[in-house]
Amino acid sequence: MTAQVESPAPPDAPPAKPRRLPLWANPRIGLVVLLVLLVALFTTLRPAFLDTRLTLTPLQSDISVYLVVGLAQLSVLSLGHMNLAVGRMAATSAFAMGLVHDKLGAGLIVSLAAGLLVGALLGALAGLIISRTGVNSFVVTLAMDFALVGLITILYASATDGVAFPTMPSGMEALRFDTFADYCMGDVCGPRIPLVVPIAIAAALLVGLFFRWSRVGREVLMTGSNMRAAELSGIPTRYRIVQAHALSGLIAALAGFLLAANNGAFSASIGDSFLLPSFLAPVLGGTLLVGGAVSVLGTALGAALTQVIYKGLNLLQFQLDQLQLYIGLVLLAALSLDRFRHVLAERRGAKL
Amino acid sequence: MLVAEKLVKTFPGVRALDGANLTLRPGSVHALLGENGAGKSTLVKLLTGVYRPDGGRILSDGAELQFGGPLDAQKAGIGVVHQERNLIPAFSVGENIVLHHLPGRAGWLDKQRMRAEARRCLELLEVDLDPDMPVSRLSVAQGQLVEIAKALSLDSKVLLLDEPTASLTGDEADRLYSVVRRLRDSGHAVVLVSHKLEEVFAVADTVTVLRDGRSVAEAEPLEGHTQSQIVDLMVGRAFASIELARHPVDASQTPALRLSDVATGLGHQDINLSVRPGEILGLYGLVGAGRSELAKAVLGLERITAGTVEIHGKPARIRNVGEALRRYRLGYVTEDRKDEGLFLEQPVTRNIAVTVWRRLAKAGFVPDRRERALAATYVERLGIRVSTPQQLAGQLSGGNQQKVSLAKWLAAECDVLIVDEPTVGIDVRTKAAFHELIAGLAAEGLALLLISSDLPETVVLADRIAVMSELRIVGELDNDHDYQRMSQQIIRLIHAEPSNPGTLRPTES
Repeated sequence: MTAQVESPAPPDAPPAKPRRLPLWANPRIGLVVLLVLLVALFTTLRPAFLDTRLTLTPLQSDISVYLVVGLAQLSVLSLGHMNLAVGRMAATSAFAMGLVHDKLGAGLIVSLAAGLLVGALLGALAGLIISRTGVNSFVVTLAMDFALVGLITILYASATDGVAFPTMPSGMEALRFDTFADYCMGDVCGPRIPLVVPIAIAAALLVGLFFRWSRVGREVLMTGSNMRAAELSGIPTRYRIVQAHALSGLIAALAGFLLAANNGAFSASIGDSFLLPSFLAPVLGGTLLVGGAVSVLGTALGAALTQVIYKGLNLLQFQLDQLQLYIGLVLLAALSLDRFRHVLAERRGAKL
Repeated sequence: MLVAEKLVKTFPGVRALDGANLTLRPGSVHALLGENGAGKSTLVKLLTGVYRPDGGRILSDGAELQFGGPLDAQKAGIGVVHQERNLIPAFSVGENIVLHHLPGRAGWLDKQRMRAEARRCLELLEVDLDPDMPVSRLSVAQGQLVEIAKALSLDSKVLLLDEPTASLTGDEADRLYSVVRRLRDSGHAVVLVSHKLEEVFAVADTVTVLRDGRSVAEAEPLEGHTQSQIVDLMVGRAFASIELARHPVDASQTPALRLSDVATGLGHQDINLSVRPGEILGLYGLVGAGRSELAKAVLGLERITAGTVEIHGKPARIRNVGEALRRYRLGYVTEDRKDEGLFLEQPVTRNIAVTVWRRLAKAGFVPDRRERALAATYVERLGIRVSTPQQLAGQLSGGNQQKVSLAKWLAAECDVLIVDEPTVGIDVRTKAAFHELIAGLAAEGLALLLISSDLPETVVLADRIAVMSELRIVGELDNDHDYQRMSQQIIRLIHAEPSNPGTLRPTES
């Protein structure tokens, strides 16, 4: 039997087709491969890695939190900016949530809304300073981080025992412990997925929608791509900068909320561990530090990768300092590999 | 003797050099001429190791040279003084001259030897400068001499000077010429890249002319040639014969854009200009005359301190480009494509649709389908050559990039366009196509203000020509498209400033 031969390309094909990026050079594919390999490795060394209750469920909660943390950073990376205050914006917002609940007796939704508002305002303030003064976002948010560290200490000292609020709105316990398996309709129960997961996924979808299809999101990306050209194309670049930073603050607040739910308290230490992961997730996922392009899916994969490494090493009973050493090394290796792929792809004439 | 044979250099979408030859003999001054985009700077960069050639070779006394980078070229005795300053402002004259081989003693800088070496190089040029003086205190001309001294300190046998007198006064330029002659007499080969033909005829012995990346004259002795013969070689005959279809402008119409007695925060004074629908007003002037700045003031990016701007007869107060675009349908095609006109890392589609997202959007979201359809329309209408509309703008050739940056204003349905230096860095053929395009837009009824420092372009395209010099309009002419007569009138207008008689001082403010 002879197979039918594909018809050749039409003779009037357009000139100079740009070469597509080879599949292996796509950072998302690389992350998926790396994830699978690591999961296989950890499972071989410690079969308990696949234990649902012990490992997989908490892992999903952690990935959810750090996906949202990554999205907060991604929102300003789109401009080529940074938000070094991402952790402290989360902490300040979490304080607001705790305060509104503890002192005013507000419920879950109202407390959450108040915290998100505080986060958005903090972000907008940073954006306003950056766009008005033209000072580098690195410097502005670093200074803001410093100021907020002090503020948070003062606030917690005056409103609580100094560490955390004693109470949480009802419903947060469920976010902390429950999975969909705890909710049954008759005999049918949900999968063992923590309740925070759909919140994080919804946030990721909304951010993706914003940057991919909304006019404002696209204009933010154009501003990040070339601010001068954006201004000369009629984009109100100052507003876009303020809006992107406000979005970053808002999402940081959400991350603070999710972490508070995971930890079981609105505490002063929320956000302490946000800064490095906030960059790792988007950057590993292929979001450029120079602005103009973002990848939400990549951020999700990047967050998953970092948390899998963390969880795996933890299971292998590494001490905390060892853990930090190895996770740093693994991430350095991952980033170098990424750069290596990038260079190889460029040599082949592909455009990233 | 340095010989370049059949050099080829291709960039994405454009063949910058296509078999260029150059022969340099010791003890001679060699002029390298060509229009913008002819390949002069590419050739200079190949000779100095900045780029590597895609074809051809460079021979020194018969031995082939291969440069891995600029340092290799320096070691081979090829020095260069670039158009822009390349000195480190915080360092002294001496340190800059000896920068690439600072004499050391046990890891510390040996200042005595550094000064001696710097003095030796300066004396070769018969220039009296203190090696300890900070470079930041030098004039432009002195800085240039220091750069030449720097090249000499590396024992350069070949010295490339890229537009060395572009920002010098007449006296300073004369001093530089005498330095060049002295270098020639001491056995150096000097290459002079220049736009100024008088200067070339005064100093150079031989000439190579580039056109479209090829050498159309190779190491010809200059003696026995006239300036106009050289110009013919540079532009080719094809250019002079371009005839665009013309159409009469209805002079009774209200001007689409009119400036009356406008003054700006940058120092423009008494600017009066008007453009009618269907008309092209050329705004000619030298670089630094303040033309782009005037355009930006009209768009609200610089302050207007006096006078009025009217659009279609109504007074307009424009605060930013968005307002110019949406309320007044006024567009500005920027001079600098890469930094101001385009988003190089974004697809062509977005580059074109960026001005109209507001119109395309439904409930704040832009449907891909409508965006693609719009971009496809303009890709076809302007003949933009892309493999797919999703191609990144940075991958296109200069001419196609320029079309993209024009397309976004057409997509926004602007009826007044300010077009700033539309054909800088574009090869001759694309340029002609672009001129037809601009003339076509005027024929469709757009009002165009064409800012250009390309005299032939201005004379070919404009209906009227306003001449700007030092932030003022020094004259306005009806264009009769006779290049000889128009160009002489325009140049006379520019150089008739009482403040600065006779010299070629650039009008940088």
